[in-house]
Amino acid sequence: MSESKITRIISELREGLGSSIKEEKIDKKIIKITVERDALVRAAQLLKELGYDHVKGVTGVDLSALKPPENAFEVMYHAGSHLDPELAGSVITVATKIPRDAPELPSLTQVWPSCEYHERETYEMFGIIFTGHPKLKRLLLPEWWSDIPPLRKDYKPPGR
Amino acid sequence: MYYACPQYCGARIKTGSFGLATLHSRKVVETFEESVVPEEEREDAIKRYGVGRVNRVEDKKGTNFIIQWIRRRSLVRYLVNWGRLSSLFPVHLTTACCSVEFAGSVSPRYDPERFGFLNAVGSLRQSDVIVVEGTVTTKMAQRVRVIYDQMPDPKWVVAMGACAISGGLYAKDSYNVIQGIDDIVPVDVYIPGCPPRPEAVIQGLLLLRDKILGEYL
Repeated sequence: MSESKITRIISELREGLGSSIKEEKIDKKIIKITVERDALVRAAQLLKELGYDHVKGVTGVDLSALKPPENAFEVMYHAGSHLDPELAGSVITVATKIPRDAPELPSLTQVWPSCEYHERETYEMFGIIFTGHPKLKRLLLPEWWSDIPPLRKDYKPPGR
Repeated sequence: MYYACPQYCGARIKTGSFGLATLHSRKVVETFEESVVPEEEREDAIKRYGVGRVNRVEDKKGTNFIIQWIRRRSLVRYLVNWGRLSSLFPVHLTTACCSVEFAGSVSPRYDPERFGFLNAVGSLRQSDVIVVEGTVTTKMAQRVRVIYDQMPDPKWVVAMGACAISGGLYAKDSYNVIQGIDDIVPVDVYIPGCPPRPEAVIQGLLLLRDKILGEYL
């Protein structure tokens, strides 16, 4: 991605989102912006207008094992583009932090339909509830699973 | 320094001599008095002491005794076991990446048919050996057990690779990997390695052959 394209995308995002952007990390192939929870859908719509047409993955991170600990989950949407040849090699990441006590987030399936299964996986591995998701059920874990979501840091594996 | 026997038999044991102490305790266990339980009280005795503690004397009459007597002869045992170990049909069950090495070890270069280990073709209802090739997750564990239950007797299990033995890479901190398949099926031979070389697989097969040859019918 050329320098002018990066600056254009960043300026459009700043214009559209304003002060709800908390953090920016700009690299040649990866751009990461951290936004507030309320501005997530707006950011996704902006990116879709800019040419990012699908989600490559949804990542959840439990930040409670950091030093110093942070009582929050971070959810990242990695978006890419099939149609725009200039954007095709690049990934843009939209991240947001939500408190561990109330892990709720608006679902982005209305904007990017390809993040449906990724959100389901994040739901079962972290217990993050995506409001507005068409089918928020468990995807990969066994049917008899009754413990807390396994990728949370306070989960204790059974061992032997 | 001496201390009294923990079994209260009156003997005195020198302290610090662990070997002597174990020898002594074994002797005590051996000299337990055996009492014959009459037939009416046999069920009560089994309930009280468990099946393993009550010896049942076999009836030395009838066709069943004769069949068992013939089966216990060493020549018959040898012939039957030799027939079993010379045509081992494996189940084709691939759980993880060890199957690549397993496919290499049944190739013509190594040729385990020399040792009576046939190709994995056909139904699992005709099979004798199940080689669990690699990581077994909790979901796959159910299937492994179902396959093991569908195999006819006699059957043997070979655990191939570190993951099947102890969880391997996923030991202790995984939420969905079985920590060694001996939790779900009885294992006869363990083949260590990550993954094991074909030579190791063939050594495991030879160990399995030795084990089958020594088995009682």
